[in-house]
Amino acid sequence: MNKDIGTIVAGIDALRPIPQVANKVMSIVKDPQSSMGMLSEIIQYDQVLTANLLKAANSAYFGLSKRVDSLHQAIVYLGMDKVADLVLMGAGSANYSQPQEGYGLKSGDLWRYSVSSALIARDLAEKKQMEDPHVVFTAALLKDIGKVVLSQYVAESIEKINFLVSEHGFSFREAEKTILGIDHAELGAMIAGKWRFSEKMIDIIGNHHLPIDALYREEAAVVYVADTLCMTMGIGVGSDGLAYRFHKQVMGDLGFTDREYQEVIAGFGDKISQVEELIQAN
Amino acid sequence: MNIIVGVADMKVSNDPATVLVTYSLGSCIGVTVYDPVVRVAGILHFMLPDSSLDPAKAVTKPYMFADTGIAPLFRAAYELGAKKQRMRVIVAGGAQILDQQGFFNIGKRNYMALRKIFWKNRVMVSHEEVGGNVNRTVKLAVKDGTCRVKVSGAGEFQI
Repeated sequence: MNKDIGTIVAGIDALRPIPQVANKVMSIVKDPQSSMGMLSEIIQYDQVLTANLLKAANSAYFGLSKRVDSLHQAIVYLGMDKVADLVLMGAGSANYSQPQEGYGLKSGDLWRYSVSSALIARDLAEKKQMEDPHVVFTAALLKDIGKVVLSQYVAESIEKINFLVSEHGFSFREAEKTILGIDHAELGAMIAGKWRFSEKMIDIIGNHHLPIDALYREEAAVVYVADTLCMTMGIGVGSDGLAYRFHKQVMGDLGFTDREYQEVIAGFGDKISQVEELIQAN
Repeated sequence: MNIIVGVADMKVSNDPATVLVTYSLGSCIGVTVYDPVVRVAGILHFMLPDSSLDPAKAVTKPYMFADTGIAPLFRAAYELGAKKQRMRVIVAGGAQILDQQGFFNIGKRNYMALRKIFWKNRVMVSHEEVGGNVNRTVKLAVKDGTCRVKVSGAGEFQI
């Protein structure tokens, strides 16, 4: 590891670690024996988390006809899966409040992008009847955490990076790797490792632009596709633009048609304002 | 005052104090129209080329699609006194992901759908900022029709 990469990696320590509750929630919802009681047991002692969760549960995104006033009600009306997603969102948001100027992202942009791709990834994971939609959701939510750390270094070298992208056909990620020695996906995987996420989650985050190289290929492909759909809609796109590689085979291997991908876009386009409300609740 | 044209949205205005803005187009397309005589401006931000994907949605969200969104933009401008032969039309967006050919190339298909509709209806385009891998934001001032395009990471310029 050269000295510069060492400096960049040391920046991981400045992040706020993901609260333990996220890992606990992921292991609970994975277990078919788990109960509503077990889920609320973990969450109930965190007042901030509970308050944010109730705010999100009552947002227009879920369109509940009745107001939810307690954790128990939230689980009853939304179900364990959705409540778990909301806990994971609440746990993940802490590092996203600052702008990522290197990527031309204003405060809130990266989080909006992350939540949007997580919701789309979950939707696709459910359609594929994948066994671990929460891992896919969380991986999509945190896949760009590397950008939070890398942003200042991208800012310092943005002209060189842009030159490789515009004049030499590099993708933005390839240019990051060439100029800085590390790219945001690799860095994201290191962060996930440091936070003691599962091997699966580390693999998906590290390969979210290159799902072909992933061990958990289908999960990584879903996260990749969700990212691609967000870029298409212009969600969370900054100075990196849409300069990432398109993997036609990955899109096809998942078994969805072109038309089905367009339907996902149309479905998401329908609820962008509700998603905004959900994001504000975090 | 800025009026934001959201995703799958359309706005027209003849208030000289207003600037219409639509953010972060990606592969979506922003169509701006302006009649300098009556000072009427409009922007449409559509997402997808063809409403046959979901006819029910085309009714509730016509601005989502090229084929159901473009005509209402022009009609709304006509209602405020704009005339087609005086209108300056600018098109922006339709970006693509690298190596994206054919399959799921929404940016290109959005643009093709728009060209077809414009050709059928004999609409002349004054200026285009389309394609490439960049993300664009478009602003249109009602008072003088000044149109500015911001490319993320590369600054803003006037068309």
